[in-house]
Amino acid sequence: MSRMSSKGMIRTGLLLAAMVAASPALALESAPVASARAVVTLATEANAAEPGKPFRIGLRFRLAQGWHIYWMNPGDAGQAPELDLILPVGAKASAISWPAPLRLAEGPVMTFSYIGEVLLPITVTPAQDAASLPIDAKASWLVCEKICIPEEGSFHLDVPLGTPSPSPQAPLFAAADARIPRPSPYRATLAPDGTLSLSGEGISTRSVKDAWFFPSAWGPIDQAAPQKLTVADGAFSLALKPGQMFDPKASLSGVLVIQDADGRESAFDVTTPGEPSGATARPPPPGTATANPPAGEAAAPAPTSSAGSAPALPRDMAGMAQTLLLAFLAGVILNLMPCVFPILAIKAVAIAKLSGSARSAVRAHALAYTAGALATFAGLGGLLLALRAFGIAAGWGFQLQSPTFVIAMAWLLFAVGLNLSGAFAVSGGFLAAGQSLAGRDGLIGSFFTGLLAVLVAAPCTAPFMGAAVAAALAAPAPLALAVFVAMGLGLAAPYALLALAPGLAGLLPKPGAWMETLKQLLAFPMYAAAAWLVWVASQQAGSDGVLAALAGMVLIGFAVWAFGATAGGRAGWRIGGRSMAAVAAVAAAVILYEIAASPAAPPAADALAGDAEPYTPARLAALRAEGRPVFVNMTAAWCVTCLVNERLALSSERVRKMFADHHVSYLKGDWTRADPAITQFLREHDRDGVPLYVFYGAHGAAPVILPQILTEASVLDELDRLGS
Amino acid sequence: MSNFRPALWLAALGLAVLPLVAHAAPRIGAAAPDFVGKDSNGQTVRLGDLKGKIVVLEWTNDGCPYVGKWYRSGAMQQLQRDAAGMGAVWLSIASSPPGEQGYVDGAQANADTSRRNAAPAHVLLDPQGTIARLYGAQTTPHIFVIKPDGLLAYMGGADSIASTRIEDMKRAEPYAREALVAVAEGKPVPHPVTRPYGCSVKYSS
Repeated sequence: MSRMSSKGMIRTGLLLAAMVAASPALALESAPVASARAVVTLATEANAAEPGKPFRIGLRFRLAQGWHIYWMNPGDAGQAPELDLILPVGAKASAISWPAPLRLAEGPVMTFSYIGEVLLPITVTPAQDAASLPIDAKASWLVCEKICIPEEGSFHLDVPLGTPSPSPQAPLFAAADARIPRPSPYRATLAPDGTLSLSGEGISTRSVKDAWFFPSAWGPIDQAAPQKLTVADGAFSLALKPGQMFDPKASLSGVLVIQDADGRESAFDVTTPGEPSGATARPPPPGTATANPPAGEAAAPAPTSSAGSAPALPRDMAGMAQTLLLAFLAGVILNLMPCVFPILAIKAVAIAKLSGSARSAVRAHALAYTAGALATFAGLGGLLLALRAFGIAAGWGFQLQSPTFVIAMAWLLFAVGLNLSGAFAVSGGFLAAGQSLAGRDGLIGSFFTGLLAVLVAAPCTAPFMGAAVAAALAAPAPLALAVFVAMGLGLAAPYALLALAPGLAGLLPKPGAWMETLKQLLAFPMYAAAAWLVWVASQQAGSDGVLAALAGMVLIGFAVWAFGATAGGRAGWRIGGRSMAAVAAVAAAVILYEIAASPAAPPAADALAGDAEPYTPARLAALRAEGRPVFVNMTAAWCVTCLVNERLALSSERVRKMFADHHVSYLKGDWTRADPAITQFLREHDRDGVPLYVFYGAHGAAPVILPQILTEASVLDELDRLGS
Repeated sequence: MSNFRPALWLAALGLAVLPLVAHAAPRIGAAAPDFVGKDSNGQTVRLGDLKGKIVVLEWTNDGCPYVGKWYRSGAMQQLQRDAAGMGAVWLSIASSPPGEQGYVDGAQANADTSRRNAAPAHVLLDPQGTIARLYGAQTTPHIFVIKPDGLLAYMGGADSIASTRIEDMKRAEPYAREALVAVAEGKPVPHPVTRPYGCSVKYSS
């Protein structure tokens, strides 16, 4: 009350006076329930009703300046008016036909409201034998300005029976009708990322200048989030943000308000079909969650988008089998990826070792390797799912975002290289050109070779399996794990074949002196991989990280030497050598711990060299709002494909000149270390790893995702096409 | 070396996970966003320090009729006392900025508490709306229940019927109480996310 302006008081007073003056019409409009905030009556559309014939009455609100009441879904706060009618026996009443509301945003809280004057119509059908038609109503409503006041009142109408003609209040009903939603002429579909698409005749940038979707209940969509409109001829879409209760399989219903280029508004009832079968098709009862959703699924939007290329989650067995087959093939292809080369070197040695061995030994090693690959794929997949379930933003290849892991990997590869070079030999170790091939240690070695292959290969999966991994992660956990296992099977397949087809093992070359030469040669891919990983660590942990990595290598070198040099000596020497090796190993472990405990270094300047600006969602939104074309490059130092693309395609003179000529802003996101904003961006584009290249044309044109393998020509073509 | 290797791998994998922890909007089953606030007696309250205890967050605004229903009926005070009996820490949070309904200073907050015979562990003063924004608090009341391990177990309405009428409370499903009891008993919360209802949180612009 205290907030009511004096102007509002005067206005309310005038309203009341006007109504008293209009007393002859009072039979067609109830006595008002009035406060300084709202004057409320019950009115009829016609001045008489016929028995058995439907006619309309309406709850009429006249609201003081600054005050509002709420729509049937009030939005994030507030409450819809409630109306109880008491009708003579035999008469029936419909529910309220709600006119489309307005949006009122109060900070991050969005409400759907009415201001000024509004009428909520109800259709009443009197009994066939009605002799009189008294209508009593009880209503309650919440009226809010900044503060909220609950109000209520009782209303009485005696509707005369006779031949109907429009009452003085009929224009109010006509005004309400203009905003009462009509059945939608458009076909509506909902994408798993929340994009609502409508198609039908007559849609153009002229007929759809602006649009807003009001959900009929709280829950499925984030009501306060912007709804980005994209219009083409014959179709348009609104990018809705999934809310707490979003279920892409459920039907979504609500009211769509469209404004055309002349400012005319039309309201339509829109319902998406939803999944036809089972209980999931029913929307949850308003205000409740239907069940205890598995942790992490509650609010996570499915990582698919309107881009169209996204594989839908397999809904049946055939789809599932196809997904698994694709995952398997991707695993096979992984054997050809550059990041697996160092591991292939290990395998080459292992295969060489097997030359001439017993068939059973070959089989045992192949199975152990396969088991290692499978276990690691399943383990990584499971860990990733678990991290997600705990709300941690992680993506495929996430282990390489940790400098600790990268350095540990560099050391391991370095140690493997030293071993291949002959710096030390561990009999029975998995790298030893040993005799005890069938020994237990040898099998463990094969297992760990499989493990190593997967850990290093994982980031390489992005170009081939990015979308599938994203889909898998959105699928139920058992299916997701099955996809990971299928990939592991694919990776191990060439080797597993040796186990399954005994004839193949016989084709292996005969052992001989060449094996030692090959082994020494293969040390160099290991050193190269270690050098690369140290460079990756330099991006993540700065020069301190490089020093730590190199110091660790010196310690490892020393440990290896102490171990190897004394291995053939007397017991005392051996113990001394092994102690020194152990001390060095512990020192290396301490270094690793220090790296893990130290705070992350700022991104190295090199990662953002060139004309690129660092990616932030806000910067992208700002550039797009200015209508500038934007090229977004999501990359990571440990992603070989990304680096090759940058060197060969994106850094070329012609591409740079093209960017400059078309005033393209170049945003680069560095995912070398974990960055939730980038993970989010990837998921919005159905990806779960880098690289990702998205080009946004000028003036809000729809974004285009470029292939993950770029050439200078393909980039120039794409820019040409979009630029013209 | 062959004995050392598996241990190294496990350690490396374990450590690799550590730097990945990052917070987003509150989600059921995820870590509840940490915050530091001043209570009505000037004491600093940090959510992270309350690990090991159930924590209930209640957004409040003494002038809001929906909050009024809960305090006039005595239901909110009862829930606060029952929560304390279960070892839970109850934080009432006032996020209205100065000049808006529901803004309180420490003295006013304490006066409201004693007038209402309320029993929160603390009333947090959040006039900038910092904690409210962190949790996406939309209404008064809006309830969040956090498990002793710091994971969010419930977010939503105080009960199932959006109204200002005390008589509706009898037939409403008591979502907040249900969530609190489930967490105290170590059971899953039957309705972890429900529609919050009430007046809007008055955010400072």
